[in-house]
Formats: sequence, C-alpha cells, structure tokens
Amino acid sequence: MNPARRSPRRPALAAAFLLSLGLTSCYNLLPSKGGGQISPPTTRAVRAADIAVPAGYRVEAVATGLNFPTAVAFDESGRPYVLEAGYSYGEVFGVPKLLRVEANGSRTEIARGQRPPWNGLDYANGTFFVGEGGEVGGGRIVKITREGAVTPLVENLPSLGDHHTNRPVVGRDGYVYFGQGTATNSAVVGPDNADYGWLKRHPEFHDTPCADVTLAGRNFESDNPLTPGEGDRVTTGAFLPFGTPSQAGQVVRGALPCAGAVMRVPVNGGPLELVAWGFRNPFGLAFSPQGTLYVTDNSYDERGSRPVYGTGDTLWRVTPGTWYGWPDFHAGRPLSDADHFTPQGKPPPGQVLARQPGTPPKPTALLGVHSSSNGMDFGREAFGYAGEAFISQFGDLAPGVGKALGPVGYRVVRVNVATGVITDFAVNRGRENGPASKLGGGGFERPTDVRFTPSGDALYVVDFGVMTTTEKGQIPQQNTGVLWRITREGTR
Amino acid sequence: MKRLLFVALALGLTACLPLRRDAPLVGELTNLTASEERGQLVYMANCQQCHPGGAAGVGPSLNDKPLPHLAIRAQTRAGLGAMPAFDKSEISDADLDALADYVVRLRRQGTSAP
Repeated sequence: MNPARRSPRRPALAAAFLLSLGLTSCYNLLPSKGGGQISPPTTRAVRAADIAVPAGYRVEAVATGLNFPTAVAFDESGRPYVLEAGYSYGEVFGVPKLLRVEANGSRTEIARGQRPPWNGLDYANGTFFVGEGGEVGGGRIVKITREGAVTPLVENLPSLGDHHTNRPVVGRDGYVYFGQGTATNSAVVGPDNADYGWLKRHPEFHDTPCADVTLAGRNFESDNPLTPGEGDRVTTGAFLPFGTPSQAGQVVRGALPCAGAVMRVPVNGGPLELVAWGFRNPFGLAFSPQGTLYVTDNSYDERGSRPVYGTGDTLWRVTPGTWYGWPDFHAGRPLSDADHFTPQGKPPPGQVLARQPGTPPKPTALLGVHSSSNGMDFGREAFGYAGEAFISQFGDLAPGVGKALGPVGYRVVRVNVATGVITDFAVNRGRENGPASKLGGGGFERPTDVRFTPSGDALYVVDFGVMTTTEKGQIPQQNTGVLWRITREGTR
Repeated sequence: MKRLLFVALALGLTACLPLRRDAPLVGELTNLTASEERGQLVYMANCQQCHPGGAAGVGPSLNDKPLPHLAIRAQTRAGLGAMPAFDKSEISDADLDALADYVVRLRRQGTSAP
C-alpha cells in the first residue's frame, strides 16, 4: 500500500485527489458499457469498408453465414479451412465441423465431430489437427485426414468446465503443442460455473494442478445453485469440488493431463508431456519465425466466489518447465497485492496456495482487461510487420465478467514481442469502439482467430459472429460468423 | 487552487467527448522523442491493460482529457478508487516523467488539440 494515497499533503496530490474523484471514485456509480450490452440484432450486416486498416492494406469478406467459426488453417496450396465450433457460451449446442472454403465463399464439409466446441486448427503434411474442446465428453486432440477420417491423438483432457482444449500447433520438432484451459475463473468452483452451465452437469468437476500443490486453507462461501430454494450456503476450497472446503497444508496431487497448461504429444502419437503450466486459458499458440512458442492467455474475471479485478490478458513466451502464476499471480504480480486486484465492494482475492510452485515471469505483452485476446500468428515479410505477433481480440463479455467503462477488444492488434508495444492493426470505424452490431456498421463482431497464408501475403481473420451479453451470460447468434481476408494492396 | 479548478473544468468539459486514437484511424505514433519512447514502454507494462490505447476499458479513457503533466504523475503515484497506486519501486520518478510525456503525446495523436 502506498502511504501517499492516504495523506495528500502536497498540491500535486491534492490535484490528483480531485482528479481521482472525477475519474475513478465514482466507478461504483458508473454503468458497465461493454460492447455486447445491447439488444440482439435481427440481422448481421457485412461491409469490409467499415473496417479500418493501415494505408496500403485492403479488407474483404471471404465467407459469411458461418456458424460459430473459431479457427482457420490452410493446406499447401493456400486453400482456407475453417472450424465451426458446434458450441457457444450461452449453452447453444450444435455440430462441430471442418469446412473447406471455396473460392466463391461456399463451403465443403470435410469432417464433423461430437464433442464441441472445436476450438483450434492446424494443418501439416496432409493432416488437420483439431483442438476438440470437449464441453461434452471431455477434450481431445484429433487428427483428420483430407478425406475426413477422424482419429484421436490425445483423449480425456479436462475440458468440462469454463475453458476447453484449445488450438494445437505442430512444431518443427515433431510434436503437437496445445493449450488446455482451466475449469474455473480462479481455481474455486462457484455459482458462476452454474451460470456457465457445466456445474449442474458435472458437480464433481474441478481444476487439477499439473504438480502437487499445498493449499493455504482459504475457503469461499457461496450460494448453492445445485439445491432448490434460497439460503443454502456452501463452502469451497481451491482445486476441490464444489462444496468441499480445504484445510491449511492440504496437498492436492498433480496429474497429467491438467488444467491451465500447455502440453505436447508426438505427432504420430505417444505419451503426453507437460510443457508449462500456471496459465488460465491458453487459447492461441503460435511459433515465432525463430521457432519460439508464444501463447495468449485469457486472464481472470470479476466473477464467482473468488473474483479478481483488473487483470489484462497476457502474451507469454513459453519457456518449458515454467509455472506462469495461475491461480495466485497475474503477470508476475501476486494477487495478495490487494490494491491492484480487489473488486469494488468485494474481498481481496488473496492467495490460495501455501507455497508457490515457482516464480512467475513477466509477460511479453499485457493486453486489455477482458479483451479476450485469442488467436495469434506472426507476420511475414510478404505482408509487412515481419516477426510481430498479430492477435485477434474477441471482445469483452461485460458485465458478466466484470464492469467495462467502454468496449474492449473487437479488433486485431499487433505486438512487437521484443518491446511489448501493442499497436492496433484492424478496427471498426466509428465514433466509439465496439462490435459492428453496437456501432450500427458491418465490420468486425468478435474476431477470434488470425492466421497468415502459407505464402504469408494475406491475413485471414475468423469472426465468431454476434454475441450479446447480460449479467447472467451470453446470447450468441447462430450463422453470423464471417471469414475476412486482409491483403497488402498490389500483392493479389 | 487554480490548478484544482483547471482540472475540474477540464474534466467536466471533456469527459463526455470520447475521441478515438486507434492507429488505423489516425495513423501510427511516429517520431517519438526518447522520453516518449521510454514512456510508451512504461505505459504498455502498467497502463495499457486498463486504458487500451488511451481509450476506456476497465478504466476511463485518458486520451480525451487534457490532463496536465503534473496531474498525470500525481494520479499515477496516488491512485484512488478503482485505480491502484504505483510507487517508486514499480515506476521510478524518471519513468513517471516519461510516462506523462507519452500520455500527452498519445492524446495529441490525430488531433490538433493540446
């Protein structure tokens, strides 16, 4: 705690005090203005001209009407393939599909699955690799031939909760790397997980650490959404099932597979290996031109029994064997720093582990709080900004994940991974930021993946489609997804 | 007292006038001074997550308020309400000066306003 906050003696601090009153202390009174806090639109407009990109670049819509698309990849000839998730937050279930996008925007089905959502896609040597989210049935990494034959490469991944099995990428070393999200926001199962839908389906499900952890014995009391009526309260500890309290010094055994991790498996099958852990929802994985693995991580929300305030999404350089801090750190800073992480009117999140498994590093870049920074790829010479990380930002899910004073995300940014400087690359035009449905335009709704073509001359952006939000959750609109293409003028 | 009135007046005049500074709309920040470059790194490590690009996010927008250099530095040190305080162990005095330079430059990008 900075003592200067409590004794504004000098004029500068007096000025700051007044300024702060204006800027922040009425925070509680200000309404949330997240990008999705609108009435669901009846139709989705698609107009490339409503998206602004740097001079010399051009945007076009390649395919429209996609149903919850989440990822794009290319075969050797540069033909694009997209995944349709088959599931969306808001508990809308469908059929996950791998589709080839033809030159006229029509689609040819290659394969379909049974364990949605299909979250991530890669292609190498004639084979597709899909991160099968497993909200139903548990997560898997599956291989799909060009003819559509599906075979599992990894099974029984812990994906029944908030976050799922995410994008796989094939490394030069013959391994398939992928991210596995956590079950919860901050390791404590709570009523928010009932809002997400899964707690009632799997009341025993919880986060599993990748190595043994010793608990501090902190417990969290909440309503019990699993019983009818009001007034039923339960107590839950970290890394334990809902309604199970923890004890100080209690050891929770680690296991593999585990939650909040990057793992890998040989491309032709073999034992699963841990690469790094302590992530929350490592969604986007990509190798830099130098062969270094980077991952985007969706940070904590202000929800559930252990809400955490003010944690931006992170871009990490992945160093094997490292613990990255979840559930007790954010971007290298301990959550015991109450000044940074305490939600208004709520208790500080504190720390749930008695001993930390390591010293978490600082991130490569710190992206917007609730921006949902998801898909990632690295720029090439043919496109420009070579070596920079391009990241798609799905956009905030306020107010359910916390308050936002303005829409966050809904764009593609690029990151200089040497400096951490973030620069907007593609944004919706308009007086304010937000999804097209809020702005009344035809640009981005929720960009969720980016991928360069094999030749590196075009960036494809997967736009999930319209998703509006309420305090209790999300309202997605089926068949509103778009595949966009951004090219450098004169290269196509 | 004049400073307090100025800050209050500036806040009142501009708080409802959001202006976007996104690079594809107004151009990229170029020709930064050495101090602004240093401030940009400080901003990215500490401020960007709540005020992305100077716009509103979890925190309020910064790039539509003609905050004086002094107020930016004081607010960063003191915090208040939802904003945390950043002491010298987190942002040195020199980095804080650079940060204020960058925030002022960010606000000027794409506009002739001060």
